[in-house]
Amino acid sequence: MAPGSTLEPASPRGARPLVIDARGLRKSYWLGKSAVEVLAGVNLTVGAGEVVALRGPSGSGKSTLLNVLGCLDRPSGGRYLLDGCDVSALSRAAQAWVRLHMIGFVFQSFNLIARATALENVALPLFYAGVARPAREAVARDLLARVGLADRARHLPAQLSGGQCQRVAIARALSVHPKLVLADEPTGALDSRSGGEVLELLLDLQRREGLTLIIVTHDAAVAARTDRQVHLLDGRIVDPEVRAA
Amino acid sequence: MSDRHRNAWAWRGEGLRSAVEVLARYPGRSALTVLGLAIGVAAFISMVSFGEGARRSVLAQFQSLGTNLLVVGPWMAERQARDQPAQPLGALDVATLGRESTTLAEIAPVIRMDQDLERAGVHHWLRVQATTPAFVRLHDWPLAAGGMFDEDEVARRAKVCVLGATPARALFGFGDPLGGGVTMGGVVLCRVVGVLETKGYSAGGDDLDDLLLMPVTTFESYWGTPEGYSRIELEPLRPGLMEAAKSEVTEILARLHRINEGEENDFRVTSPLEVIRAVERTSAVLTGLLRGIAAVSLLVGGIGIMNIQLVSVAERTREIGVRAAIGASPTQILTQFLWEALALTLVGAAAGVLLGLAIAAVTADVMQWPRVISGRGIAGAVVFALAVGLVFGFLPARRAAALDPIEALRHE
Repeated sequence: MAPGSTLEPASPRGARPLVIDARGLRKSYWLGKSAVEVLAGVNLTVGAGEVVALRGPSGSGKSTLLNVLGCLDRPSGGRYLLDGCDVSALSRAAQAWVRLHMIGFVFQSFNLIARATALENVALPLFYAGVARPAREAVARDLLARVGLADRARHLPAQLSGGQCQRVAIARALSVHPKLVLADEPTGALDSRSGGEVLELLLDLQRREGLTLIIVTHDAAVAARTDRQVHLLDGRIVDPEVRAA
Repeated sequence: MSDRHRNAWAWRGEGLRSAVEVLARYPGRSALTVLGLAIGVAAFISMVSFGEGARRSVLAQFQSLGTNLLVVGPWMAERQARDQPAQPLGALDVATLGRESTTLAEIAPVIRMDQDLERAGVHHWLRVQATTPAFVRLHDWPLAAGGMFDEDEVARRAKVCVLGATPARALFGFGDPLGGGVTMGGVVLCRVVGVLETKGYSAGGDDLDDLLLMPVTTFESYWGTPEGYSRIELEPLRPGLMEAAKSEVTEILARLHRINEGEENDFRVTSPLEVIRAVERTSAVLTGLLRGIAAVSLLVGGIGIMNIQLVSVAERTREIGVRAAIGASPTQILTQFLWEALALTLVGAAAGVLLGLAIAAVTADVMQWPRVISGRGIAGAVVFALAVGLVFGFLPARRAAALDPIEALRHE
């Protein structure tokens, strides 16, 4: 029996609806004539409001899994239910809709639009959602206040520190009330102090909003703050460590 | 439903606004890019104006001659080149036409020559038209003072003349020219018997009042007519008789000049109407050609826009990836880049319209054409420019929309 294939216990989250319900996710790429299997059948369920750390050495398939979970990529095989909907084989436009309305991304390198102010960056998803300018600026202002940057709304990313940029990115991820927040090494580019602050902010917002949060991290200290750690090795989930929420 | 529509509209407004913001961040580059398009639009507008202005100017010149008019001119070179006899137009032609024709109301021989006019030490150089009284009737030229010299004065070779308003003013100032004497070419002292009413300037900028009329016979006594009359002007009895008069005149003169069947005539009968039509045809071809050139420069401008948008997509690959990751749909990304191309085009077209109008105005003034602002020309240029912007903006926009968000996010 493949490690991690059927060992997912449902009991701690049994009462909660599943935000992620992935069965047998596979992803392979063609390098020349040989297929490289990056995901070799991943089973993962994450309940609403759960915080999961995704860990594993580089090359283990973390990024690919995150891309599939974030609807940036389609699995080659398997089935992925996001909030009960099968999103395994959506068109590009439908994937974009799912990302816009259901998923928030927090990247290691922030990925803010350099030419846009903090406020505009936070309001950007709402722009794509078709919210009129006054309404989205009001929401963005509120979110900036909640990440402690109310006085930095008109600053450009270059005028903000790394920690502040990541707070802006977190505010942006939350602007459309996502079902799922995917954070890829959110503290990886920050010094330990601001990294700690960003993590606290993220977890604090998670508790207040009841967010479902997946954090990719190498940092054991970060992983220790989550409900559950999932280890990925060679495209499979191994030895799941379960911690009750 | 209405909410969705409002949002869609809001989004369209935002699209243009954000596009303008992006372009404003690279003012130099944007300006250089739209330059090509602006030149294209300017060329289009100014060329359409040139063509139209030149056409109207030429037409106006011919129309000022009158349209119910036939002109017989000498056309001897062709026959002389073949050693065939050719004879200039003369008094015999006028007399024969007067006697034999059944379709003509007026016949006026004209000799044109530029001459010096002098009175009390003041000189004025002008065009002398030696003719008969039929000339002013034929052209419906009214007189402001005095009258046209009469047939009797023509027969007597009287030394009389009728002045246009310009020489009258130049030589007599505010004084009364009637009865005054002017010396022509330093040899003939003529008495002024009439002054023509002012006709102003032609569309081409020629002073229509800068002339002098005198009896053709008087002119002949002093300067002779080795080359014959410059032309014989004819007025048919009715405008509808134009074609009949033309063939009758041709037939009479060919017989008189002993032109054999199938040979080239040594004269030519034309009507300004035909010339106007010919000019219209030529200028249509010319205007079409200019439009073609302008269209090519617009296309070149469009390629410039495509180029800069491709550069922009390449430069902003990571940004596009971010936008896609946070949920921008391929259509929204496509639309954003199309808006940017359109904003560039709009700026270029606006600059081009201003530039084109300026060029057209300056050229019209320099060439002394009427200033023609062709609304259709402007609209055509702008619509064409926008179409070019959209067509050439589409490829870069589609490339941006087709980017794989994962690849784009990895892009440095």
